[in-house]
Amino acid sequence: MSWEAMLEEQPTVMSLLERSMNKDRVAHAYIFEGKAGAGKRETALLMAQRFFCVENSAVPCGECRECRRITHGNHSEVMFLQPEGASIKKAQVEMLQKEFTYKGMEARLKIYIIEDADRMTASAANSLLKFLEEPESPTLAILLTENAHFLLDTIQSRAQKISFSPPSIERRRRLFQEREGTGEIAAGLLAKLPHVPERESEAALAEWIVQGRNLVIQLTEEVHQRLHSALLTLQDKWLGHFSDREELDIGLDMLLFWYRDLLSITYGSDDITYFDQKATLERVALRFSEMEVVARLQAILEAKRRLRANANAQLLMEHLLIQLQEGS
Amino acid sequence: MHFTVDREQFVQHVQNVNKAVSSRTTIPILTGIKIIAAADGVTLTGSDSDISIETFIPAEENDNQYVQVQEQGSIVLQARFFAEIVKKLPGEEIEVVVQDQFATTIRSGSVVFNLNGLDPEEYPRLPKLDDTNMFHLPQSLLKDMIRQTVFAVSAQETRPVLTGVNLESENGELICTATDSHRLALRKANLEAGSDAPDLSNIVIPGKSLNELSRLLSDDDSTVEIIITETQVMFRFPHLLFYSRLLDGKYPVTKNMIPSETKTGVELSTKELLQSLDRALLLSRETKNNVINLKTLGDGRVEINSVSSEIGKVTENIDCDKIDGEELRISFNGKNITDALKVIDSEKIHIQFTGAMSPFVVRPTDHDQMLHLFSPVRTY
Repeated sequence: MSWEAMLEEQPTVMSLLERSMNKDRVAHAYIFEGKAGAGKRETALLMAQRFFCVENSAVPCGECRECRRITHGNHSEVMFLQPEGASIKKAQVEMLQKEFTYKGMEARLKIYIIEDADRMTASAANSLLKFLEEPESPTLAILLTENAHFLLDTIQSRAQKISFSPPSIERRRRLFQEREGTGEIAAGLLAKLPHVPERESEAALAEWIVQGRNLVIQLTEEVHQRLHSALLTLQDKWLGHFSDREELDIGLDMLLFWYRDLLSITYGSDDITYFDQKATLERVALRFSEMEVVARLQAILEAKRRLRANANAQLLMEHLLIQLQEGS
Repeated sequence: MHFTVDREQFVQHVQNVNKAVSSRTTIPILTGIKIIAAADGVTLTGSDSDISIETFIPAEENDNQYVQVQEQGSIVLQARFFAEIVKKLPGEEIEVVVQDQFATTIRSGSVVFNLNGLDPEEYPRLPKLDDTNMFHLPQSLLKDMIRQTVFAVSAQETRPVLTGVNLESENGELICTATDSHRLALRKANLEAGSDAPDLSNIVIPGKSLNELSRLLSDDDSTVEIIITETQVMFRFPHLLFYSRLLDGKYPVTKNMIPSETKTGVELSTKELLQSLDRALLLSRETKNNVINLKTLGDGRVEINSVSSEIGKVTENIDCDKIDGEELRISFNGKNITDALKVIDSEKIHIQFTGAMSPFVVRPTDHDQMLHLFSPVRTY
């Protein structure tokens, strides 16, 4: 990704970094915090390229040999640390430290980028600490993490924290679609969810989402035609599928998307989550006024609130279904 | 790129650069050997980022034609396979051709290997040769200097700068220092008149690199050129360049650690002391502290003893050539002393003590180019 594209994606972060680099006021250590896909790694690479690019312009060219070597991990002064297995081990940090006791092979500045920095073991983090604080030579450390709070306080206080805004829905959708076994439909839904549940594999997650989606479609159809069978579906399938509070919350979100789609259709917007159900949505949308749809959206949001307040899942859903049927 | 090269020459040079290549590297391109074919010959480079070796096969030398370059160019080939392949090729000559996308064909006799190469542009650039900070030394002398200092470098990474040998120059003398903060080895050498005395200070070469280098050094008086750049040091042999990265950080000032006064002076045979300490270490090695006690006996002898409460004890008296000054009882790490004695080539040594709690100095008696400093061990 080029500097310009990243600037568009993360305007605050990039202009901040740009300013500090232009004024030669780069901190010795940064923590890049943000959701997966927010472009933390790309930004770190761009920053490194900016230091080494031979074009010496305001933005790295991405094409000179220095830039290419950084992208391919072949640059001797830019080092990456990634979790080996579940965590970043002390030995890895020690190896990095050893590397840094030498003078650079080609240049004076050395950069190290630690991915998933929150997964450092306690002893690894502690050995990094000293090194982070008193590097022997000009060094730039970039720690990437999805959750900066999992880092040691002492590390947090020694680095400048930069928060990345969550990636755009379109970008998230693309990222999910690149995953194994994730189709267009599942990716579209996953991208919109505020929080993605854990599953044993990416394919299993996609499978679960698609099944949940089918349940939403079934339930919304039944609720307006035969409430008793909707209640049966609820008992039979829904509560089994969305088995705990966290999952039920996702189920409610998906239900919310359905009604939001109805509103989108009414207003002629293209932002439709259930895009393959457009015909059904259009048919249903004819039967409801905007106020009626909004009332149902409110009911779902209220259910989400009650779910957080520890309401019984079955009662909550039954109550919601009746509200959805009656529209008040 | 397209060239044909004499197999024997090529194998030897590939093996030389392959010494620098490590399979455990974080930089993927360094698993390869870089080959550059130019009009005047072929250059090979291998590196593990700490050390790099570059060799040159000239197109012609002493009326022997080694290389024929049909087309100039460069390529990086996986060292693991490439080194093995060239060794096992049958023909007298090896032909290397690089086509599009770094696909490389190696041909010899009736054998054809097709290898996928890597982009030579991605290979790290070694520093440019700059003759401003250059001097030369006979290879045998450099080898001695390495042997006589490198054993004393620190094995622990807690103070990384101590894992190297420090180079500095003063009054036309080159001074090598190594210390692990318990002992210190210092070796001086006169720089050849004629070579401009370079101004060196705080050049710290990793001990590991020097061990590697000393394998390349011959025992004769042919000279090796030493060139210091900001980040690396280079040793230039005919057709071979050895690069090592330097250690970062400030090397401690060692000059004022060396005591000037003498309270007790002992002069004795190097070999006798070494053998005696070796015997005493048999017992103290077991307790892992290697503590050995030394006592002057007043009758021109010193007593060496070592006590291990579980195993037993050993006592030995050694005749000295000369003892002067105060009576003395001192304990020290015997292993450190034997390490030093092993690299002292002189027959006699002089030990200069400055009290039981202060460091002492071991020097050969026949020249003043070497010095070993040890701190004693407190045993009570």
